[in-house]
Amino acid sequence: MMCRTLKASMRAACSLLLFVMAPAGLAATVGVPGELAAGLARYALATDRVAPALGLADSIKGESASFLGAQLLLSSGRTDQGLAELRQVANGQHHRAEAALILGRHLLAGDQPSEAEQWLGKAVRFGFGETRQQASYELAELARRAGRTDRAGRILAGMEEGYWAAVGYLNLSSDYAREDLNPSRALVALRVALAMAEKDGVGERSRHLKSRLLVRAGYLAYQNGEHDKAIGFLDKIPLDSYSTPQALYLHGLALAAKGNHRASMQSWHRAKKYPLAYPGVAEAWIGMGRGFDLSGYLGQAGEAYLAANAAYESERVTLRKLADRIRQQGAYKTLVEDARDSDLEWFLADSRTLTQPRMAYLLEFVEHPNAQKSVRRVADLVQLARTLERQKGDLAVFIQALEDQLATLGTERGGAASTLKKKQESLETALERLAGANLSAEQKRQMRRMSETLSMSAKSLKELGSRIQKRPSVLRQQLRQARALKAQTTGLQDQLARLRQQSEERLNRRALDFVAEQDRQMAFSLDKTEQQIAHLYEYLALENLQETKP
Amino acid sequence: MFGKKPTKERRINAWRALLTGICSLTVLSPLASASTVDQEIDQLRAEISEHSARVFALEQELLHPADTRMAVFLTLGNREALDLDSVELFVDGQPVASHLYSQRERDSLEAGGIQQLFVGNLSNGEHELKAVVTARSAKDHFVRRETTHHFQKHPGNLRLQMSLEAEAPSYDPRVSFVEWK
Repeated sequence: MMCRTLKASMRAACSLLLFVMAPAGLAATVGVPGELAAGLARYALATDRVAPALGLADSIKGESASFLGAQLLLSSGRTDQGLAELRQVANGQHHRAEAALILGRHLLAGDQPSEAEQWLGKAVRFGFGETRQQASYELAELARRAGRTDRAGRILAGMEEGYWAAVGYLNLSSDYAREDLNPSRALVALRVALAMAEKDGVGERSRHLKSRLLVRAGYLAYQNGEHDKAIGFLDKIPLDSYSTPQALYLHGLALAAKGNHRASMQSWHRAKKYPLAYPGVAEAWIGMGRGFDLSGYLGQAGEAYLAANAAYESERVTLRKLADRIRQQGAYKTLVEDARDSDLEWFLADSRTLTQPRMAYLLEFVEHPNAQKSVRRVADLVQLARTLERQKGDLAVFIQALEDQLATLGTERGGAASTLKKKQESLETALERLAGANLSAEQKRQMRRMSETLSMSAKSLKELGSRIQKRPSVLRQQLRQARALKAQTTGLQDQLARLRQQSEERLNRRALDFVAEQDRQMAFSLDKTEQQIAHLYEYLALENLQETKP
Repeated sequence: MFGKKPTKERRINAWRALLTGICSLTVLSPLASASTVDQEIDQLRAEISEHSARVFALEQELLHPADTRMAVFLTLGNREALDLDSVELFVDGQPVASHLYSQRERDSLEAGGIQQLFVGNLSNGEHELKAVVTARSAKDHFVRRETTHHFQKHPGNLRLQMSLEAEAPSYDPRVSFVEWK
C-alpha cells in the first residue's frame, strides 16, 4: 500500500516524459482487492484481455502469483522476461509442472529440442492430469520426429487414455504406414488411438479426431485389400465431419473393389455435393464416370466424364478469381474475413459451412502449420490495430472532455455549492426534529441511515472548495497525459502498419502458392477426364468399325 | 563399385552441393526473416500492452473517480454445479451490465477466474443491486434466479463480490454478496 501511495504521489509530480517512462497500469490496480487479483488475472489470461490485468501483477497474492505474473509477461509480448520468470517457477514449489510445460513448448517452437526435453520431462514427473498428458505427448512427438518410434511408443504406452494419447498414436501410425510395407502395425496403432479417443471428454474435439482416425484406418485397410474392414471403418464417420468427403470417396473405392458399382456410385454421388477443394471430391467426380463405364453404361460414362470436366473447368475459373482477389484485397480479407462474414445464416452454420467453396479452401489452407502461423500473425496484428484505433478515439474524447471541463471550471464559482449547503442545513434540522419523536426500531434504523448519508454529504460539501481549487491542476495534468498517450498511439499505429504490411505480403505469397497448387491439381484431374473421354470415344469408334465391317 | 568416385563426378557433386546450399539458403532466408518479424511483433505487442494499460489507467481515473466508484466482481462458489449462461445487473432498477458467457469464459470461471462484471459511479447513500442469473444446473435444468442486495454507498471505492453457488442435492443456484472494505 505504501508503495502504491508513493507511486501515486510520484506520478502526480512527474513530468510528461516521466509519465511515459513509468511502469504500466498504476491506476489499474486501484480498487481491486488483493485477494481477487489472482482470479482477475486468471480470467484475463483465459479470455485474452490482458491489458487491464497488467497492472495487477504486483498485487497478486498467494502461491500462484509468480506463475500468473510470468504468463501475463508472456501474453503481453515480454517473452524473455516471461521465460526467465517461468524458469524460476518451474524450479520452485508451486505450478512447477505447468511452468515446465509452457517452457518446453516455447523452446520447442524456438528449435531448442534438447533443453525442451528436459523441461517436458520435469512436467511429466511433477504434473497431473491434462498437464502431464500434454507433456508426455510432446515428449513422444520429440522422439517420433527424431526417428525413435520405439521410444515414442513406450512413452505413449505410459499415458492415460484420452485425447493426447490418441493424437500421439495417430502420428505414430502415420510413421508406421510410411515405413512398413504391410499396414498391420499402423492399423494396430490406429485401433489403439480409437480406443483412447473414446475416453476424451471434450465432445467436439473427440468427434473430429475420431473421424480422422477412421478415414486413416479405412484408407490403410483398403490399401491392404481388406475391403469389408475398410467399409466398416468408413461407415462410422458422421456426415457433418470435415473428413466426410474423403471418407465417401474411399467408401466408394472399397465398394467398387468388391464389384458393387451401383453402391460405389451412390457414395461418390454424395461426395460430389461437397466443394472440389476437399480431398477426394475431384476423384469422386472421375469415379462416377468410371463406375458407369464398368457397369456397361458407356453413354452415361461419357456424360459423367464431361460433367466432371465442366466442374473442373468451372473450379479453375473460381481459383483464378480467388487468386485475383488475393492479389487485389489480400489473402486475409479474401480467405479469412470474407469466409467468416458470408456465414450470415449462422443458425444453419452446421449444414452450410462445409458446402461453401471459400470456407473449404480456407479449411484446406489452414491445414498446414505454416499457413496457420501466417494467418495467426496477421489476425493478431489486425486485433492490435483495432485496439489502437479504439484507444485513439477514446483519447480524443477524453481530451475534448478535459478541455471543456477546464473551460467550464473557470466560469464556475461555487453558486451551486452554496444552494446545496443551504439545503443540507435544512435537512439536518428536519432530521433533528424527527429524531426527538417516539420512533419504532425500523424507523430508528431508517433515521440512522439517513443521518449517515447526510453526514457524508456534509463532509463532501466541506471538502468541495479545496477540491475545486486543486481540480484545474489535476485536469491539466490529465490533459497532458491524454495528449502524450494519443501521440504515442499514432507512433505505435505507424509501426504496426509496417509490420502488418510485411506479414500480409508473406501470407499473400503463401496463399497464392496454395491456390496455384490447387489449380495444378484441377488441371491434373482435367487431364485425367480428357484421357478417359478419349479412351471412350476410341473404344466406341472401334466398336462402330467392327459393326460396320461386312 | 567401391572406392572413391571419379574426379569429374566429385566436381559435379561439389557444384551440386554448392547449388543445394544456395537453394537451401534461399529457402531458409524467408524463414529467418519470418522469425525476425515475429520478434518485432512481440516487441510491438509489449509496447502496445504497456500503452493499453496506461490508457486503461487514465480511463479509470477519468471515468470512475475513486470517491464514487463501485465495482462488482463475479466468482463461482462451487465450480462444477452450474453451467453459467448469462448475468444481468441492475442498480436501482436501471440495467448497468449484462454478459453472455462463452465456453472459454465459463471454463475460466470454473478454474477460479474472477470477472469484473461492472464498474461505475454511484452517489453516496442507500442503493439496490439486482442480479438476474440464467444457468443450467447439474441436473440439466435451465434455471433463472433474481437476487436483490441492498447496500450503503460511502465515499471511496465500493467493491462487491457476487458469488454464485449451487449445492447438492437440489443444485438450486444461490447468489451471495460480500463487501470488500
